[in-house]
Amino acid sequence: MAKKLLNKTLNYYFIYALVILMSIGPAFYFISNILFEDDADEDLQVLKINFNRFTVKKLNADDIATWNAISKDVKIENFNGIKKDTLFDLSFYDSLNRENEPFRVLQSPIKIDNQWYTFSARMNMVGKENLVLSTVFLFISLLLLLIVGFFIITKIISKTIWHPFYVALDRIERFEIDKNTNIELAESSTEEFERLNAAIQNLIEKNTLIYKSQKEFIENAAHELQTPIAIFKGKLDLLLQRSDLTKEQFEILDNLNTTTAKLTRLNKNLLLLSKIESNQYHMPEQVVLNDIIISQIDFFKEQAIAKNITISTNLQPNIVVNANAFLSEIMIKNLFLNAVNHNIENGKIMVMLKEKSLVFSNTGMSSPLNGEKLFERFSKVDPSSKGNGLGLSIVKKIVDINSWGIEYRFENNLHVFEIHF
Amino acid sequence: MKILIIEDETDISGSIKDYLKSNDIHCEIADNYQKALDKITMYDYDCILLDLMLPDGDGFDVLKKLKALGKTDGVIIISAKEMLETKIEGFNLGADDYLTKPFHLSELLVRIQALVRRKNFDGNNRIVFNEIEIDLQAKSVKIGDTKVEFTRKELDLLLFLIGNRNKVLSKGAIAEHLSGDMADMLDNYDFVYAHIKNLKKKLNESGSHDYIKSVYGIGYKWENG
Repeated sequence: MAKKLLNKTLNYYFIYALVILMSIGPAFYFISNILFEDDADEDLQVLKINFNRFTVKKLNADDIATWNAISKDVKIENFNGIKKDTLFDLSFYDSLNRENEPFRVLQSPIKIDNQWYTFSARMNMVGKENLVLSTVFLFISLLLLLIVGFFIITKIISKTIWHPFYVALDRIERFEIDKNTNIELAESSTEEFERLNAAIQNLIEKNTLIYKSQKEFIENAAHELQTPIAIFKGKLDLLLQRSDLTKEQFEILDNLNTTTAKLTRLNKNLLLLSKIESNQYHMPEQVVLNDIIISQIDFFKEQAIAKNITISTNLQPNIVVNANAFLSEIMIKNLFLNAVNHNIENGKIMVMLKEKSLVFSNTGMSSPLNGEKLFERFSKVDPSSKGNGLGLSIVKKIVDINSWGIEYRFENNLHVFEIHF
Repeated sequence: MKILIIEDETDISGSIKDYLKSNDIHCEIADNYQKALDKITMYDYDCILLDLMLPDGDGFDVLKKLKALGKTDGVIIISAKEMLETKIEGFNLGADDYLTKPFHLSELLVRIQALVRRKNFDGNNRIVFNEIEIDLQAKSVKIGDTKVEFTRKELDLLLFLIGNRNKVLSKGAIAEHLSGDMADMLDNYDFVYAHIKNLKKKLNESGSHDYIKSVYGIGYKWENG
């Protein structure tokens, strides 16, 4: 699953911060430890130097026991064989705190009364350890604060700086070229977003223009075709009146007549589609669907006689929708027509009208139709059909502009078209 | 009968003129707005066929002018415009009928006849063809002295055939007349055959002459004897 851009950046920040914390924390601890140790070592060296410079001269062998009794941290011990200064860590039991405490110890060979002894100075490291720990703690707290700051700043950025981006995204998502013509984008002081907005605006304006001229072209073309078709039809009617027509000639003329009717239908449907698209039927009113169905049923029953198709209805009384009356009628006519034209001999058509839906079921091809292509323009599911492939796309268009839904399914050997209001 | 065709497409006006000629209808043609105005000012017509889109003017203005002159000529608008608004505007301006292009000439002929009948209505709104007598107001048919029951569709078909007497009618033209704007959506015109068959049967049973001739089984013609 895709993540939000800002969450992604935050993730990287977070991982980086974690790595820093994990590695710098211990490293910082060790470094400060070493620093403090060096410090202690230096102190011990100073102690030794001072001892050698001032104290040793005044001491003789007999004083050693006394010195050791009085001095707590600097002792003179029996020579243990070391030849130079040696530094090491050692734990001593502290009787006061009753625990072992870490000490730094410096041992060095010294000569008192021509006799070798070992000088041993120690320094308690407990306080320094504490200091190191608090320093590390302070450091980590600071880092954590920084990270939290990052989070908050990123969130704020996403709310302010990225706002125009999200607005633009939302507008593009909701943009439909056949519905709204311009979109409102949020002002931005960020150069990139300004460019993005300008580009989107430009893109939409251009496409809307192209779409509009395309639509107008279809409408004009369909309109311009009316006149030549009218001329053609008139001339055919005249030609039919010739008394010397042979059967073959007459058949050709009849064929031309049928083709002209097809052409007329195609043209009318194209005009209708483009008119629906350009919103020329926008006045909705209270339409009683029962009335439309009943007014159409006689005509289609008549049409159904040739194939001996039975039409039955089950209409819940007084179903009213808020829609354009003309388009509602076209929709029902096209559904009827579809059910009649694609039916089989001795088939049946059932029309059911309920509170929230209108269902047309009809017998026909024994396999389901391609539901995806069914409502596309000029998609002929049945190639032998004389339809022009616009009927159902007109139905779909009318369903769409009313924000209804249409569903096709094949059940119990019936092709079912259901419209949900 | 004299009618005026106001139409810039001479191919259309020519076809109309040709088709109506044999029905004793004399046609004059005005192919632009100016000529149309001149003609309606100078002459009276039984019926005016009016195209709305003229090269030098609007057909509606011709209609307004006609009404302003106080003329009562019947007007049928023939236009490619099929928007309901345009039709309503036409009727509001005083047009009597509206026929959307493209149309069959046979349809235009019966519309002209119907309009002229309405205009010249003198309390005797009947059509008589030999032994067949149709009362348009009562929507009843008498054959000889017998009253015969016809359905609305059959009566409509009968009027269409008689109106286009001696003319060959294609099934498509009949289908279009019977079903209006639905006809060109249909896959086949089989229902026309069923109606013709029924009509023929009723006429025959009532002792009427068989006027309906089939033309090669594709078209039909109402022939006097």
